[in-house]
Amino acid sequence: MKEVVSYLNSRCDHCIKCLKSCPTDAISIVNGKVIIDDEKCIYCDVCVKECPTRSLKVQGSHLNETLHLHDYNIVLIPTSLLSDLKSFEEFQKICQAVLSLGFDEVEQYSDIEGFLYKKAIDESHRKEGVWLTSFCPTINQLIEKNYPTLYEHILPYDYPVEIKARKMREKYKDKNIGIYSLCECVGKMTLAKHPFGNNESAIDYALTISHVFPKMNKLKSDQKYPIEMNRYGVKSNVEDLFGNRSRSVVRVEGLNQSKSLLELIEFDQIQHVDLVAMYACYQGCIGGHYLWSNPFEGCYNIESMLDECTGDIASLKEEEYIKMRSFDRKDMLSMKERMAWFNRVNEVLETLPQFDCGACGFANCRSLAQSVVDGKLSEDACVVLRKGGYHETR
Amino acid sequence: MKKIYQVLRDNYEDAGQASRDIKSTLKSIGLDPKVLKRVSIACYEAEINLVIHSYGGTITFQVDDNGIVCLNFDDVGPGILDIEKAMTPGFSTASKKAREFGFGAGMGLDNMKKCASTFHITSSSEGTHLEMRFE
Repeated sequence: MKEVVSYLNSRCDHCIKCLKSCPTDAISIVNGKVIIDDEKCIYCDVCVKECPTRSLKVQGSHLNETLHLHDYNIVLIPTSLLSDLKSFEEFQKICQAVLSLGFDEVEQYSDIEGFLYKKAIDESHRKEGVWLTSFCPTINQLIEKNYPTLYEHILPYDYPVEIKARKMREKYKDKNIGIYSLCECVGKMTLAKHPFGNNESAIDYALTISHVFPKMNKLKSDQKYPIEMNRYGVKSNVEDLFGNRSRSVVRVEGLNQSKSLLELIEFDQIQHVDLVAMYACYQGCIGGHYLWSNPFEGCYNIESMLDECTGDIASLKEEEYIKMRSFDRKDMLSMKERMAWFNRVNEVLETLPQFDCGACGFANCRSLAQSVVDGKLSEDACVVLRKGGYHETR
Repeated sequence: MKKIYQVLRDNYEDAGQASRDIKSTLKSIGLDPKVLKRVSIACYEAEINLVIHSYGGTITFQVDDNGIVCLNFDDVGPGILDIEKAMTPGFSTASKKAREFGFGAGMGLDNMKKCASTFHITSSSEGTHLEMRFE
């Protein structure tokens, strides 16, 4: 995977807000440069939002560089886009405006979302234990990188947008088509082939909504694109799945809440729930960073349009939506070597103040100690110790 | 490495704190997720048992150089009257207060034994000693 969050050194004030805000301690600042560790980054948007100088950016593909490479260009629009609009008519007008950006076809995937949500509920009721939905890429990264014991609890479904892209490839298999995914969040951007190099994807390019928004807004007219959305897929974007707050299905929004719940599942303390739908953003996908409006009103916008969402639900065969995830552990060190490394880290940690102040450029003293043991830093990297303030303050 | 945690009787507020710390330590070591899962579940169950049933005690957490985890739970009483009965799934002597918190559904000991590679328990009125190893 290529670097997802890019860093513009010239603007950076070298405050440590990104470092302190990162939910997975993926950020460090070494020699005045922000470094994001891809092995820890879960592709949320917290650091991007937190940075006061806008030095951290996620760059999507550029339409003018890629549209001419294909004979036929298709754009897949996210269902959450509805939340930014006041009526279904406005939504159809926006879809026409998106088409005018230079595409040949606008497609949606709420029909697939609806199918998979129904499937998720059905299957989780039938199978033993707690199941986790697989729709939020950031949550999946969080589980893979921080809750490895729960990896096998993720339902083995592919992302709706990916399934749609494959269907489009199948439909136009004799054509040189370009498939774009218009994204409401950083996580969804990482699913495409470009710009971040997920080569297995059927989606060619990821675009952010906010990147195309100014142009699309200018192109908007009274002309409407004949797009149909599926009610269940749309509803699943705002509600506790089908709107029933039932004990067996739980919806959790936000990284902190999701983490609390995952901790409990790791202790086997969630016993009466079949399915947990977790989303990194407030209100789920409609809280995505690249939507221009807000999720507070957005959920009501969507509610008001449900009656106009009359499109059919998809019907998929297993081979079209099942995705087996295999957990490959990256570090090939033996347990003995890992223990030796861990013990050395603890020895260094003991010499540090353990205030986790972040002044050295690491989120906490443990991260600093790990870098010292890995030979990336010298032992005097601790600012507090260098200034001699440690013994007086404790 | 070795770490000792104190567990206080009836301290429901902090119940699980030691298990959380042990779990996060084992994650930073990079223990096999399958083993980690077993350790987490058994450790939490046992810690909650100390809070609910015992007069308080300690948890001793050790990992040797080969990554074998050993947990010792030592309390100061009142002891388990009939260990065999306590091992039966569903059997519970938890107080009403504990049940109000959602704890004490029984199954604890039995579940722990299933998670651990070795499981030794001895008990008298002076205290209960439980040792679990995970390989």
